[in-house]
Amino acid sequence: MFAFIAKRARNAVLLLFLASVLCFALVVSAPGNVAILIAELRTPTATKADIAKVEEELGLNKPLLERYGFWLNGAIHGDFGISYKTGEAVGASLKSRLAVTATLVAGGAVVAFLLSLFVGFVGALWAHRAPDVVTRGSALLGASTPSFFVGALLVYAFSVTWHVFPTFGFAGPVSWVLPWLTLGFLPAAVLSRVVRVGFEEAMAKPYVLTAMSKGLSRTSILVRDAIPNIAPTYLNALGTQIGTMVVGAVVVEPLFAWQGIGDLFLTGVRFRDFMVVQACLLVFITFFIILNVVVDICITLTDPRLRLQRS
Amino acid sequence: MQPVRPLLKAIGAFPRSAVFTIGAFVLLGLLAPYIAPHDPNAQDLLIAGQGPTLAHPFGVDHLGRDTLSRLIVAARTSLVGVCLVLVCAHAIGIAIGTIAGYRRGWTDELLMRIVDVGQAIPSLIVSLAVIGIAGVSYWNMILALALAWWPGSARISRAVAVNTMNKPHMEALRVLGASPVRIYFVHLLPTTIGAVLVYATADAGAVALAIATLSFLGLGIQPPTPEWGQMLVDALPYLESDPRQVILPGLTLTLAVIGFNILGEAVALNRVPKPLTSRMLAARRRVTAFWAKEARP
Repeated sequence: MFAFIAKRARNAVLLLFLASVLCFALVVSAPGNVAILIAELRTPTATKADIAKVEEELGLNKPLLERYGFWLNGAIHGDFGISYKTGEAVGASLKSRLAVTATLVAGGAVVAFLLSLFVGFVGALWAHRAPDVVTRGSALLGASTPSFFVGALLVYAFSVTWHVFPTFGFAGPVSWVLPWLTLGFLPAAVLSRVVRVGFEEAMAKPYVLTAMSKGLSRTSILVRDAIPNIAPTYLNALGTQIGTMVVGAVVVEPLFAWQGIGDLFLTGVRFRDFMVVQACLLVFITFFIILNVVVDICITLTDPRLRLQRS
Repeated sequence: MQPVRPLLKAIGAFPRSAVFTIGAFVLLGLLAPYIAPHDPNAQDLLIAGQGPTLAHPFGVDHLGRDTLSRLIVAARTSLVGVCLVLVCAHAIGIAIGTIAGYRRGWTDELLMRIVDVGQAIPSLIVSLAVIGIAGVSYWNMILALALAWWPGSARISRAVAVNTMNKPHMEALRVLGASPVRIYFVHLLPTTIGAVLVYATADAGAVALAIATLSFLGLGIQPPTPEWGQMLVDALPYLESDPRQVILPGLTLTLAVIGFNILGEAVALNRVPKPLTSRMLAARRRVTAFWAKEARP
């Protein structure tokens, strides 16, 4: 088991290294001179001497490899340089916005988890009957609806028509509800299909026949025998969907005027603020890679067959 | 024409609902300028925000532009964008995948590790980063999406290429003294393109959605050109007074994506009965089994 974790961790570090090279290369290859941009940001009438001073300060006149080492060292310690547009430290704005995105994704994950299990259970309990057909249809619809459209519909229904939740911005804990629902909707649709198909397959297995001959009810077979069997598949899908939700946050945050990392990334993209784009990209990639490793370990822990095979 | 005929045959076997939605989408896109009743960019502020009338069956938006015409022309914007992205992405992907599958060895290792990194990052993040570096414009959007989509295509085409290279006729060609150039361009490339084309159609929905999302964020198609995501964000400030202008583009986009998703599911579940010849189908099953084996760490 430890050997397995170590192997996964080693692969993750390798992938992280490649990703950091990619992020660095992206900014180095960007058109335009960074030193001129920053010098002009400080004093609009920057002279050649000012530009040279900035180059000296940021180490832009050093060889690429040295610059990469300098940048990576800073990034590991949370220093991502300063934004070209605002002049603020990128690391500080990342830190201040982390909580918003984390809460958004965590809430979305809870919504997706509860909704998908509920819908999947309804479908499995009434398999091939009206509730199943309805839930399967809505799952297909939910998986195909763009999240910004879901958000707009939710705002129209709950804020504009029924005045239950506030529309945009932050006004107490209730304003979290709509972004959470928006973010959790698509993953819930996808996951409910995973649950539904997983139950369908599990219920055709011989151990279910044994349980039935022992006189257990359909519900208790679903809970006691089927759930442990679909758990690894479900966890895998949940991990993928949490990744999708982080991407979804980039779309949902501007829709609800939240100031999270997604919003920071978008602002960076819009104003071509390379340092912000680079830092956000690195944070996102790091998150995805770590998420993958965590999901892999969780699957191994929940599935005794894999545990045996991998230890 | 080797790759085209099996594709046409495959369309006949696709699920009906998918064929109708996608058919409508493609027809609207192709014929947009001829069937749109009004100029999609003609403004008439006097009737701005008006509900449905005989002249404007879906109403007009906040600038008095005819919504029906804009929805129809947006299908063309989307269709052209999707085709460009898929062609670019698959050109890169098939080139890299077939080279990796043909050469094997360290070339294969190196190229596939790059593909791994590309696949580890979600496509929207990749395309946003590329737009952030290159700037906002139509061609940058196409480039960004192509760069986000090629790794998937490279992976599939590598698997197909490896499979093709292992077939007896490839060995026979070598024995007959066919040059590597001939083997690659005459025998390997057409087979790979034919097999990958089916998967390309299944990807189209995700690309259409990505174009709409980028346009929604103001980073894709720019305002005067009608596009569903951009129409939606345009009408969002008027959600309270005129929700129709938000709901209609959203619904149209959802319908198109549903069509492609049903198709994609059919392809993924191998439910498309005769995508190529029965021989190719058997080959594809083997390829799928090969991926499954490869996906397991």
